[in-house]
Amino acid sequence: MQAISDYVRNLRYLPPAPRVVPELMRLINQPDADSSRIVNLISYDPSLTTNVLRISNSAYFGAATPISNLQDAVTRLGFQQIYQLVAAATGAKILGASQEGYGMEQGDLWKHSVTAAAAAQLIARQRNENENVVFTATLLHDIGKTILSDSLKGAYSKIVAETEGNGHSLLEAETKLFGINHAELGGQLLQHWNFSPDIIAAVSFHHTPKNARVYQRLASCVYMGNMVACFMGHGYGHVAFAQRARTEVLADLEMTERSVPQLMMDTFEQMQLIEAFFSSAVPSAA
Amino acid sequence: MTDDERVIVPVNFSQADPRADRPVRILVGQAELKLSQDPQVVLYTAPLGAGLGIAIYDAEAKVGGLMNCLLPDSDLDEKRAVLHPAMFMNTGWAALMTCAQQLKAAPERIRVFAAGAAEIMDDISLLNVGKQNQKCLREFLRQKGFILNAENMGGRTNCSMELSMATGEVRLRFSGQIISKFLCKP
Repeated sequence: MQAISDYVRNLRYLPPAPRVVPELMRLINQPDADSSRIVNLISYDPSLTTNVLRISNSAYFGAATPISNLQDAVTRLGFQQIYQLVAAATGAKILGASQEGYGMEQGDLWKHSVTAAAAAQLIARQRNENENVVFTATLLHDIGKTILSDSLKGAYSKIVAETEGNGHSLLEAETKLFGINHAELGGQLLQHWNFSPDIIAAVSFHHTPKNARVYQRLASCVYMGNMVACFMGHGYGHVAFAQRARTEVLADLEMTERSVPQLMMDTFEQMQLIEAFFSSAVPSAA
Repeated sequence: MTDDERVIVPVNFSQADPRADRPVRILVGQAELKLSQDPQVVLYTAPLGAGLGIAIYDAEAKVGGLMNCLLPDSDLDEKRAVLHPAMFMNTGWAALMTCAQQLKAAPERIRVFAAGAAEIMDDISLLNVGKQNQKCLREFLRQKGFILNAENMGGRTNCSMELSMATGEVRLRFSGQIISKFLCKP
C-alpha cells in the first residue's frame, strides 16, 4: 500500500483535487441541510458555478424561465439534483480528455462514466443503497485510468497478448505489466483527495466487489453500473470487455434472469438525462 | 399480435443532394432501424456494445437496412416493443423486412450481416448479454429461413457497423482503432 501511495503523490500529471464534491456530499447528508451553505460552497469555485448553471439550463433540466443564479438552481432543482450536477460538472473536467493508452478518444471515458453512474444509481434506488454515494463512486470509478493511461501508451500489443493470448482481464493485465491496476490507483487517488471510505472502497474494488468487505454491496452497484454501460455501447477503448463476471454481485444485488435486460431498458430511458450531463458539461483543458 | 403485424414504417432517409458526390452518413442510434435506397447514403450505427448490429441488403433492388438493437426478444417488455420495436431483435427484424419489401427488396435476394454482441469473460449467462444475443439471433434466423452471410460478433471490443447503399459494403469500426475493417465486400 505504501508504494502505491508514493506512486500517486509523485505523479507529475495529478489532476486537481475536486474540493467541492466530498464536502457537498457531507453537507447534504446532514438532516438540517441548509441551502445557503450549499450555495456558498459551490460559489467558492467560479468555473464550477458556471458549469452547474449551464447544465441546469440545458434542455433536459431547463424550465420556462432561465436559472440565473445558484440559489435559484438549488431551490428549483433540489439538493439531490444539484449534487449530481456538481458531481457531473466536476467529473467532466477530470474525465473528459482522451486516454490514449486505453484507446479512448476525447469524451469516451466521460460518456462511459456518466452512463455507468446513471445505471448504478437506478440499481441503488431499487435496492435501498445511498444513491449519492453510488452515483459518485460510479462517476469516478475509472479515474485511475487517467493516471495509468500514459504507462499504457505503446503497450497495446502487450495488453492484447495478455487478454487474448493469456486469458487475463484488462485489470489483471495492468497489474502484471505495471504492478498496479486502475481500480487500486483510483481508490488511492480518492483517498488522497479525502473522499469518504465507502466511495474509496467502491472504486478500489469495482472489479472485485468481494474484497470491499463491509462495502461489498456498494461496490457491486458500481460493478453492475459499469457492466450495463458497456453492454449499452458505452464501454470504450481497447478490449473494454475483458472483464471478469463476478457471481457475488448476482447474489448481492439479488439478480434474476430478467435483471440485466431490465436494467438496460431502464437505463435506455435515462439516456436523455445522460446526454444532458454529457454534452452540457464541456470538459475544459485545465 | 404476430411479429409481422407489430411494425412501424420508418422514414426512408434520402436527404442526399443529387449534385453531391460525397456519401451522406446517417446515424442509426440505439434501438433504431433505418432503410434506404439512395445510393449516396451510408447508414452507420452508434457503438453496439453487447447489442446487435444487423444489416440487410438486396443488391438487385439496391435496398439496404441497418438495425441497432439491444436485446433479443420483445417478450421481455411487450409495451416497450410497441414504442421501440428496434430495441428487440425479433420485432426490429419484422419491421426491417416489412419495410425492405415495401421498397421492393425480395427476401430470397436479401443478404444478412451481423456484428456487435461483445462478450465479457467467464461464462455466466446472467451477465453475458452478448453471448445470449448471438445465440438468439442464430436460432431466430434459422427459424425464419435466413443464413448469416457474414458476421463478426463477440470479441472483447466495442464496435460500430456501417452499410453502404451504393455497394452493399459493410464496414466495422472497433473502439480504439483508427481504421475500419471490411466485414463484407459484395
